[in-house]
Amino acid sequence: MMAVRRPTQKATPQGEEERLLVQAAQNDPAKFDALYELHFERVYYFLARRVRDRAIAEDLTSEVFHKALANLAAYEWRGAPFAAWLFRIAANALADQYKRASREQPSSGNANDPDELPDLSSPDLEAIDYHARLFRLVDRLPAVQRQVIRERFVEQRSIREIAARLNKTEGAIKQLQFRALQSLRTQMEGGHA
Amino acid sequence: MRKRSPAVQLDRAIDALLAALQPVPEAQTSPALAQLMPIARALRDLPRPDFKAALKSDLQRRTIMSEAAAPSPVPAKPPQFRRPNFPNIAPYFLVGGAPQFIDFLLSAFEGAERIRVPRPDGSIMHAEVTIGNSVVELGDANEQYPSRPMTIHLYVPDADATYARALEAGATPIYAPTDDHPSGDRWGEAKDPFGNTWYIATRRTLVSGAEGFLTVQPYLHLRNAHDMIPFVEAAFDAKATGVHKSPDGIVRHATIEIAGATFELDEASGDSQLTESYLHVYVPDTDAVYAQALAAGAEGVNPPYTAPYGDRAAGVKDPFGNTWFLATYLGAQETKP
Repeated sequence: MMAVRRPTQKATPQGEEERLLVQAAQNDPAKFDALYELHFERVYYFLARRVRDRAIAEDLTSEVFHKALANLAAYEWRGAPFAAWLFRIAANALADQYKRASREQPSSGNANDPDELPDLSSPDLEAIDYHARLFRLVDRLPAVQRQVIRERFVEQRSIREIAARLNKTEGAIKQLQFRALQSLRTQMEGGHA
Repeated sequence: MRKRSPAVQLDRAIDALLAALQPVPEAQTSPALAQLMPIARALRDLPRPDFKAALKSDLQRRTIMSEAAAPSPVPAKPPQFRRPNFPNIAPYFLVGGAPQFIDFLLSAFEGAERIRVPRPDGSIMHAEVTIGNSVVELGDANEQYPSRPMTIHLYVPDADATYARALEAGATPIYAPTDDHPSGDRWGEAKDPFGNTWYIATRRTLVSGAEGFLTVQPYLHLRNAHDMIPFVEAAFDAKATGVHKSPDGIVRHATIEIAGATFELDEASGDSQLTESYLHVYVPDTDAVYAQALAAGAEGVNPPYTAPYGDRAAGVKDPFGNTWFLATYLGAQETKP
């Protein structure tokens, strides 16, 4: 019998590790946690930068991971990163979201317009990885810097509000914000999170 | 002019960035600060840590439920405090026309009547209907317990077929089952002729079908739903197994477990009108839970008593207007019609 050579992607150490994680989760769904931790930031950013609405980005992220968990048994490893599969689910969820939004707001003429739907088939992997790495680095900042960053960028609170909440001066909060951004920049230039 | 510190300059640039949701022209910042602005821009999409944790716990809960639903050679033994064949937190419907409501449950949801206690005038004092693996209870409304429409989450093997049967039995369509629901489940909604809302869903998780899941889960739409979670934790030793909040803290969905059975809640809004429900829940120790509930802010409706049908029973009303019938099965008597 003649052997058939199939074109395959060369397995990288990271790819092999991910394949094992997927296999483990397929055998024991409780191990889906590891895949979630690995990809949460990527999927969230992929969606958040396209919908520009935190609540919708959260709903869609939730939908993507629930669908991934539900369909994990049917997932077949073919050498492509697991993230590519998640982005495909995310792109479908996003397309459905645009359809829903355009049904609900047929004449809005805003970013929900399906004509403005970005190219979902080719996610910008470099930007996604950059943001995912940055988001994970925030978790590793000293506690008070981390809190300032979250209050400022997630809760969008003013320096005055944050100062009142943390019982510090406004000047101190600005310094903490400055140091946190400097630290994040240095680490982003320094390597992987 | 006094030169501003880099920290102040950076904050002004971030202010502009957050207000405009647009990149700040680099000319406005020094070269050193310009290097920090890409980081600031990227942080606008930073996810909420609460959301990440809540979604993770929701996924874990699903995993556990799926595993629990997998066939097992050894059937799980029900905890002793629970009446046999009473696995869920039962919604207690008080309606005008309870006999007709039973007919509706039988036709729409393939229910099976298991207890009916009539009054001499033909009205119903108490009845129980099983739906799937769960129980709902009902009676004719009266002055003490007036009719209140409730919302129920029904997990069935085929949402489309159940939805069609419900409409045939007289329910009003709200929307037909769709795969578009954010839960990932196939999900439709109908209102019965007695004013109750039914979320008719089929799980799209690792295990198909409703076996193993509780078929019936009460779904409470509350005002200030976030306050309900600490209340049920303190009053009923409840555990919030999945809480999904909007950035401003509004509860979009939460699943709450009390002694192994679950209900769901969210913030009442236009699509999900405020509900005040009647709920029957089995707990390990009615007397202790009754005392805890009062300490947590509930109002006593019935102090603990031993009911003739073999339960230690009590009633409380929570600060959100829901009435909870607490019970501990004493095992002294079998339930009889």
